[in-house]
Amino acid sequence: MKPAPLDYAAPTSLAEAVTLLADPDRDVMVIAGGQSLMPMLNMRLARPELLVDLGRVPGLDYIREDGDWLAIGAMTTKRAVEESAVVRDRQPLLHAATCHVGHPQIRNRGTVGGSLAQADPAAEYPAVAVATGAEVRVAGPDGERTIPAAEFFVTYLTTALAPGEVVVELRIPALGSDTGWAFVELARRHGDFAIVGAAVTVDLDAGGAYGDVRIVLFGVGPTPLWAEAAESALRGRPPGADLHAEAAETVRAAIEDPLGDVHATAEYRRHLAGVLVGRALTEAVTRARAARGE
Amino acid sequence: MTAHTPKGLDDLPVEEPRWVGRRVRRREDAALLTGRTEFIDDLVLPGMLHCAILRSPFPHARITSVDTTAAAALPGVTAVVTGVDAQAWCNPTRTAPDGWGTFCLATDKVHYVGEPVAAVAATSRYLAEDAIELIEVDYEPLDAVADPFAAMQPGSDLVHEDKGTNVMLQRVFNWGDVDAAIGDALHVFTESFRWNRVGANPTETFGCVCEWDPMSLDLTVHGSIQSPSSFALGRASELGIASNKVNVKSHPHGGSFGGKGGARGATITCLLSRKAGGRPVKWTEDRTEYLTGGGSQAWDRHYEATLAVDADGRATALAVTLVDDLGATGEGFGAISAAKPLAAFTGPYTIPVARYDLTLVATNKLPASPFRGMGPPPHFFVLEQMMDIAARGLGIDPAEFRRRNFIQPEQFPYTIPSGNEYDSGSYEEVLDTALDLAGYEDLRKRQAEARADGRLVGVGVASAVEPGVFDWSAYAIVGMPQTGVPEGATVNIDIMGNVTVRVGFSMEGQGQYTLVSQLVADWFAVEMDAVRVVALDTQSAPPSFGPGGSRLGVAITGAVLGACERLTARMAAVAAGLLRADAGDVELHDGRFRVRGKPGAEMTVAQIAGTMLARSDLLPPDIDPRPEATYVWTAPDRTAADEEGRAKSYLTAAQAVHVVMVEIDAETGFVEILEYALADDCGTRLNPVVVEGQTEGSVAQGIGVALYEEYVYDSDAQPLTTTFMDYLLPTVNEVPPLQKGAVVTPSPFTPLGAKGCGEGAIHTTPAAVMCAVNDALAPLGVLAREVPAAPNRVWNLLRESKERS
Amino acid sequence: MSDSLHVQLTVNGTAREAHVEARTTLADLLREHLGLTGTHIGCEHGVCGVCTVLVDGRATRSCLMLAVQADGAEITTVEGLAEPGGLHPIQEAFAEEHGLQCGFCTPGFLLAIHELLEADPDPAEDTIRDVLGGQICRCTGYQSILRSVHAAAAKMRATRAADAHA
Repeated sequence: MKPAPLDYAAPTSLAEAVTLLADPDRDVMVIAGGQSLMPMLNMRLARPELLVDLGRVPGLDYIREDGDWLAIGAMTTKRAVEESAVVRDRQPLLHAATCHVGHPQIRNRGTVGGSLAQADPAAEYPAVAVATGAEVRVAGPDGERTIPAAEFFVTYLTTALAPGEVVVELRIPALGSDTGWAFVELARRHGDFAIVGAAVTVDLDAGGAYGDVRIVLFGVGPTPLWAEAAESALRGRPPGADLHAEAAETVRAAIEDPLGDVHATAEYRRHLAGVLVGRALTEAVTRARAARGE
Repeated sequence: MTAHTPKGLDDLPVEEPRWVGRRVRRREDAALLTGRTEFIDDLVLPGMLHCAILRSPFPHARITSVDTTAAAALPGVTAVVTGVDAQAWCNPTRTAPDGWGTFCLATDKVHYVGEPVAAVAATSRYLAEDAIELIEVDYEPLDAVADPFAAMQPGSDLVHEDKGTNVMLQRVFNWGDVDAAIGDALHVFTESFRWNRVGANPTETFGCVCEWDPMSLDLTVHGSIQSPSSFALGRASELGIASNKVNVKSHPHGGSFGGKGGARGATITCLLSRKAGGRPVKWTEDRTEYLTGGGSQAWDRHYEATLAVDADGRATALAVTLVDDLGATGEGFGAISAAKPLAAFTGPYTIPVARYDLTLVATNKLPASPFRGMGPPPHFFVLEQMMDIAARGLGIDPAEFRRRNFIQPEQFPYTIPSGNEYDSGSYEEVLDTALDLAGYEDLRKRQAEARADGRLVGVGVASAVEPGVFDWSAYAIVGMPQTGVPEGATVNIDIMGNVTVRVGFSMEGQGQYTLVSQLVADWFAVEMDAVRVVALDTQSAPPSFGPGGSRLGVAITGAVLGACERLTARMAAVAAGLLRADAGDVELHDGRFRVRGKPGAEMTVAQIAGTMLARSDLLPPDIDPRPEATYVWTAPDRTAADEEGRAKSYLTAAQAVHVVMVEIDAETGFVEILEYALADDCGTRLNPVVVEGQTEGSVAQGIGVALYEEYVYDSDAQPLTTTFMDYLLPTVNEVPPLQKGAVVTPSPFTPLGAKGCGEGAIHTTPAAVMCAVNDALAPLGVLAREVPAAPNRVWNLLRESKERS
Repeated sequence: MSDSLHVQLTVNGTAREAHVEARTTLADLLREHLGLTGTHIGCEHGVCGVCTVLVDGRATRSCLMLAVQADGAEITTVEGLAEPGGLHPIQEAFAEEHGLQCGFCTPGFLLAIHELLEADPDPAEDTIRDVLGGQICRCTGYQSILRSVHAAAAKMRATRAADAHA
């Protein structure tokens, strides 16, 4: 269980990194924190000719407030996100999701950019990025561009990154102060990849009915599932058990081809997705009401 | 002075024991805590090479060619071996049942995913792994035998064509007239169960460094080896060399739980060493190798059970049918696990007659290995579910139902229908201790309230017997008819009065070196620090088996005390000569040899040892001048099995009662343990700290197998759980706080009255957790028949109940 | 490919260097090249936590990091927790509370707990469980390890209080 032979480069600028990555003649992979890639290397399931380590590229490790947005550098560790007061205050959904990623020992190395680029369908960050309407800033041979999260995740372990491109920043909107949120997941053990999870944000209208709602599930398909049909069915209606049960059914119907594995059949995953949506809505509504002093 | 092994702590030759029976800190810990203990992967020998093994990706395939040219040509590669070398230098491995073994490297076909096909020795593990990728093997895939019931049908594909069948063993054992008892019973309950594959998974995998001289054929194996002497005999047999050419040196190892395995890999590593001219070759099994090809998997079982109960709520007969899927060969001795339930077939109950309908089946899966408890844990899962089903059927509280059926203290020694004899116990006392600790009545109240709120809360009360101090005769029915398992120790005192004890096993985690030190320190009234424990290799050590079958605590106590007694007798004879007294008047007390009735006539242990070592001229004639004695202990009065497999096999019978409260999430099927209390009786507790540690660890493993752990194969016998992402070991978050109580009924058969307790709680935990799960599900009219009670499975039951109503 | 690379790092307070292949893991650098075999290897895919060491003060799986990535880093292994011949309070606590049996997973636990208690002298139960949840022990069932963590925290608080007073 040792990696196959590989070459290693540790560029000290983004430009140098992009040049290395854009080499069309070599099989090149990026290593950031390595918490997903290293197991693949050790098992020889990934065997790049060249590994480009972003760890020496300066200026990719930061958490900044930028008006109504937070900007988080790609090489920021999940532990730094978890410990950030800014994230906890202004994007508590991201904070909560971060605490579900592996264990502190993994979060100490695993990075924000790494999770996004890895695009694991059972991972927390892609779902949060889609749920919050975040954007992924990437750099490549042709310069920088910004990709909406909802377009970034293409399919299993595949993103909209073009050859030679790397993630440099997650731009994530701060949550509104009246916005309720919930991050729930079911895993066999705490810290495991989720069987199913849900990230939800809720704004209530003046009358206490659903206003803006965002529901995103993960673990149920190749990419985070944005449950738009369920969202629109909720808008304008007062929260309640029956409505949430209806939303759960709508979500279940929206799941096209859930994964089946040793821990959960496709059918069970579909069922759990509905359960979690109901629980997440209830929790998010409770927070939204609390934010309004109710 | 006549030798008599102390029956109790009062019999030790000190006014007041300072160490034995007390909460003693372990002597092993300082080195372990500072990273200084040399585990096998830490061993580096001059010129050492590293082995990597190429394994089959197919569950069943014919090998049409193996080309190692490119691998052999890779710089840094010194040796490559294949099935051809195995056929030249090896015998097929011994198995249970006999005759179901293969060569250590596949020859004409592969029988399971993970089976070794070729191996390489190179200058680093990295390079060795590069080299095995260059070996080209052509396979012709065959249909896999994955389901044991299909495998038993005539016309099934065969794992081993030359056997003509996949049935490794089929026998029915009747102990008493079971048909009559069932026919006469007022109530008869029958149910089927499934126990899925689980296994040991010590945090350290197996490792070895082998040196096999190509000229002399002398072989040295260093390794993380649980039973060095058995391992040595196994290698001699497999490699076709005389047993006295093999020397095994076991290193301290990172847990075993029966599932360290490694025999096949060690044999392959020996072949590589021979081919490399006798250079040492290290093989460190990696986790994927362990999970798919190591000693990782046990107990793949399909059960049907019948329990007959009379009008008074007394169980009158137990019939168990077991189809055990042993995988591709009998090399892992997994069959023993199907035989061991004979040592405690009817658990703690007075069930007078029993039947065991046993079928062992070969499939294209990894050969089954031992695992902590060695078979009874699934058996007790079944028995305890049946006890609950009967209690529910009769409307009797499950605790009361068990109480009514317990063997009573005055009935010991008690012979069970399957032939073994239990030494002692006080089962109701243990039950009451556990129920009190748990607050049983309060738990039932809380359960009633929760049920009224629509919650699925259940309470399980389960009891089991842990057979301790194994003897081979328990395994006679799968082809291991011998009796007697030795454990030896040599006790030596130097001129300064310091004591060295030489043993034949290495550290594994159960604190045995601490126990040895406690015993010796109390015998000679020295500080524990004055005692040194040294592990010897198999060519130097006294006869030894090592840990296994919940035996070593009892066995090494017998060995050490026996050696101390013999040494004391010799020293007393010396003292008698020096003090001008009759040897019969000299006694050891508090570290001094004194003459009874002559105050002041005494010598210290060190004085006598010093005299023996330095002044042989002063010794009585004909006395061995060494202040040293060896004793080899075996369990007394064990019997060979009769034609129905009945034997006095395991010497002790510890017993426990566990009380568990669980809640099932009615929407998701997730099971959470809310409360856990237990009481056990393993006789005298020689170091209560260590006993409690064994219990706590064994509960965690029991929870693992009840709720989380499972080796899954698909319908083509492809393994799906090949990493720790899929095979779920419990973490701190899956194990609840435990309340623990103890009852002490000393064994009349063992030195100091201790009973085997190392395997411990795993006998009871899975049964208790599943009883609680089924208690929670009872109002829904469904039964969890399958272990583990994974969420998906429980949710299927919830849905089944919903669809029914 | 696989040219030998020069790695310089500080291990247990001492400057060390080695020439390694790029693919060499930090765990193998420590064990095979620097002779620090107190760091054990359990699964090589990041789940069991046996190989955990401190990298710049942070508990890290040494099987999930390349040696070259640790160039310039400060590493603490189990060998560096206490002065030779002594025990760190966490090690003391483990010995007192029977927090280990076979001891193979123990170095990883010690270092993960070290990071925790350095940052938080009186951690909440949930925080302890969050950290320990990333370390697998197959022997103890964790109860004695939890007791060890509480005992270690108390020892370290007492030491700090004494230091502050002095």
